[in-house]
Amino acid sequence: MAEAAQTDQGPLTTIVDDWSSDVTTFKAVPWGKAMMWIFLLSDTFIFTSFLVSYMAVRMTQTDAWPEPSAVFSLEAFGVPVPLLLIAIMTFILITSSGTMAMAVNMGYRKRKVAVFWLMLATALLGLSFVGMQAFEWTKLITGEGVKAWQNPMGAPQFGSFFFMITGFHGLHVSAGVAYLGIIAWRVLRGKYDNTNFEIVEITGLYWHFVDLVWVFIFAFFYLW
Amino acid sequence: MAEVGQQHPIKVYFLVWLLLFVFSAASYMVDILEFQGHLRWLLIIIFMLLKAGFIVAVFMHMKWERPTLITAILVPPLVLIVLMYLLAYEADYAWASRIVYFGDEVAPIPAPPPTHAGVAH
Amino acid sequence: MATAEIPYQETVPLHHPKTWIGKYVFSQDHKVIAVQYGITAMAVGLVALLLSDLMRIQIAFPDWSWMDWFVEDYYYQAITMHGMIMVIYLLTAFLLGAFGNFTVPLMCGARDMVFPFVNMLSYWVYLLSVIILLLGYIPGLGGPTGAGWTLYPPQTITEGTPGADWGITTMLASLAVFIVAFTMGGLNYITTILQARTRGMSLMRLPLTVWGIFVATFLGLLAFPALFVSAIMMILDLKIGTSFFMPAIVSLGQTLAYDGGQPLLFQHLFWFFGHPEVYIVALPAFGVVSDLISVHARKNIFGYRLMVWALVFIGILSFIVWAHHMFVAGMHPYFGFFFATTTLIIAVPTAIKVYNWILTLWKANIKLTVPMLYALSFVLTFIMGGITGLFLGNVIIDIPLSDTYFVVAHFHMVMGVSPILAIFGGIYHWYPKLTGRMLNDTLGKWHFWITFLGTYVIYFPMHYLGFIGVPRRYYENFDSSFYPASAEFLNEIITITALIVGVAQILYIVNLVHSYFYGKSAGDNPWGANSLEWCTPETPPGHGNWGEKLPTVHRWAYDYSVPGSEKDFIPQTVPQERTS
Repeated sequence: MAEAAQTDQGPLTTIVDDWSSDVTTFKAVPWGKAMMWIFLLSDTFIFTSFLVSYMAVRMTQTDAWPEPSAVFSLEAFGVPVPLLLIAIMTFILITSSGTMAMAVNMGYRKRKVAVFWLMLATALLGLSFVGMQAFEWTKLITGEGVKAWQNPMGAPQFGSFFFMITGFHGLHVSAGVAYLGIIAWRVLRGKYDNTNFEIVEITGLYWHFVDLVWVFIFAFFYLW
Repeated sequence: MAEVGQQHPIKVYFLVWLLLFVFSAASYMVDILEFQGHLRWLLIIIFMLLKAGFIVAVFMHMKWERPTLITAILVPPLVLIVLMYLLAYEADYAWASRIVYFGDEVAPIPAPPPTHAGVAH
Repeated sequence: MATAEIPYQETVPLHHPKTWIGKYVFSQDHKVIAVQYGITAMAVGLVALLLSDLMRIQIAFPDWSWMDWFVEDYYYQAITMHGMIMVIYLLTAFLLGAFGNFTVPLMCGARDMVFPFVNMLSYWVYLLSVIILLLGYIPGLGGPTGAGWTLYPPQTITEGTPGADWGITTMLASLAVFIVAFTMGGLNYITTILQARTRGMSLMRLPLTVWGIFVATFLGLLAFPALFVSAIMMILDLKIGTSFFMPAIVSLGQTLAYDGGQPLLFQHLFWFFGHPEVYIVALPAFGVVSDLISVHARKNIFGYRLMVWALVFIGILSFIVWAHHMFVAGMHPYFGFFFATTTLIIAVPTAIKVYNWILTLWKANIKLTVPMLYALSFVLTFIMGGITGLFLGNVIIDIPLSDTYFVVAHFHMVMGVSPILAIFGGIYHWYPKLTGRMLNDTLGKWHFWITFLGTYVIYFPMHYLGFIGVPRRYYENFDSSFYPASAEFLNEIITITALIVGVAQILYIVNLVHSYFYGKSAGDNPWGANSLEWCTPETPPGHGNWGEKLPTVHRWAYDYSVPGSEKDFIPQTVPQERTS
């Protein structure tokens, strides 16, 4: 099965061959990985539905929509820097994706301890992301008076969508942190020694997906 | 299973990591430099898609998967483009209806920034 | 098709439970889970049937004094619960939860679903969703929601609609939980079909039942998110006062605190889920019926490949037709043309399927067994409902017919009764494999004829009622003078038939229970069918299905009446050479 992932023939022939073969359609893809990919596909539809709803409501809005870059600015050295916290959060999430990718790589080299520490680092970065989100929420609620149902700066849907979408994303991050923690612990305990550590890659898929969603939220919510 | 193709030099990860930083910083700059209108949208969406593409292709290993998996995962979301396009199309109509029939005032765009230069404090 | 690939499941042992609870209650065996799904779905379906009979009595005989307790609110709650239960908790759960669980591993040649534990969890979460749904009936809290199964805001959560507080909360919570359950099950079905087939089982050798379930599950995984999202947003609107769907509104003389929401957005999201949902219940039924017709007509299915592609094509199209449910909703006026066009295009693959069923029957050796009767009745009913769909798909015809009994007749024919008939057919067909005993034939035929003819007596006149303008969802219709007396008479006939059909389901339940203990022994393959589930070493199949070794597949599932072969069927496990 060494040639499984790389083929000499054209992509179309490979696709037709794979779909017409027996036993498995996605060659050399473990069950868990196939399932995770399909789950992420389903989750994509959830997040897109959220974002499309946000678009539809915002575009039909006749009340003023606050400018996010101003709302989410943070004072640094006495000057308000727009989107400062969001920028930091973005960088943290990207960094966590990087450590996760390294963990997957180490997993395939069967370096258990490295996998453990890298996954732990990923989880901690995720945790700090959630922490900053909590800070951002607090600032918005107590500082600006934006609630899910009201917004002194204009359209109430600004707060509603902000809390709902970032909240749902934050929920995914929190779940991911727990997931990472459990898998990291089990890797260290030697639970997957007899496997190829696909589980690390599967966990990684989920984590990168969470990062991916943030890319879209960042573009559509903070920069629109 | 899947040993071949999963062991790439770590260099690739660092490169993508770096690129993601650069693209994030670039889309951040779009905001700071206050590009507006079509240029703003074009840049934001280009950087967004580049970031998404690199995450999916390298971090999620899509680049090294067989085309079967790639198409199976990437083609179905296309129906969402229909949903997005049609709802955006309709939103203009609904917005215009609200202005015309409900006598809503057109909102001032952009809204007065509340915290700039410490106005709110 | 030579293959070097070893099925992964041959290398991992199954976990065999020791205790009775592990085997039959918290079981990870897909067959037990299928039965659990089936029984729960039928039980909750009976509740919905009872509700529909109460509604019918109210519509036809509003003057009966013993029905005085059935006030307007109860009527609207019955409508809502009947619709939602039938579509989601009976049809979706039965076709995918019960049939999907039972047939997918057996027909693919797998030992079980790929993740049996997740599969078990799927059932228990589904049961939880049913319980939450029925919590709406807790007395003293206002009862379940009466907004109609489409749950359109703003009326759904404004005061005056029955169950606008507690009822809608339980409904939305239950839907969200159901979606979680469905996702856990659905991921299992898809992964099993794609990654856990046996040797020689290519996708184009799968029976159409599995194909129907496969495409439907895929639709479910992509469509339910939209419902999930709209459920969350509506709960937030209701509970913490956001205005996602709620515009500025005056209700009962009071200005509510909502402002600036977009009610049409809910309808878009709902139908972006809702239209694929129609195919989620229709496609497995197509698949089951294709197999039943082929087996009981002793002939290969006509145009197998085309049948598969038609399923896939219908699945894709179902995502771009949703707003044909919204022609009168006040959406963008240009949308009517687009959605009418895409809707009518769906008629092409659907018609291909119907022609292929009929061509399969052409000059076939038709055995009028009970499953076959149900399959044939499905085709008839589906044609009937499908053709009225062509009427309603055109904007110009749809507008006058909107919200009349014509629509009620259409969707009951095409996605209410048809899948139910397919379900009955499937149950009569697979019961022998599930239990090792045949269902009683005489009882089955009585049940069939009453149900099938009853269906026509109920829904056929509704088309006429719709044409003369009788609106749906009205508590009392015929106190107005402009309805002809014939309409009133028809309405009474419909109700009486509905009661008879409702009561006749007792025959079916008696048959299921009685045959389980006293039915004729079935043997391994009573129908002489080809697909893999009839090739198990024991009947009913044990845990792990295939004994020591997985079967090897050498041909498609439709080699019936092959010239020159000694029997009129050749199971999928028979090598090709032996017959030629």
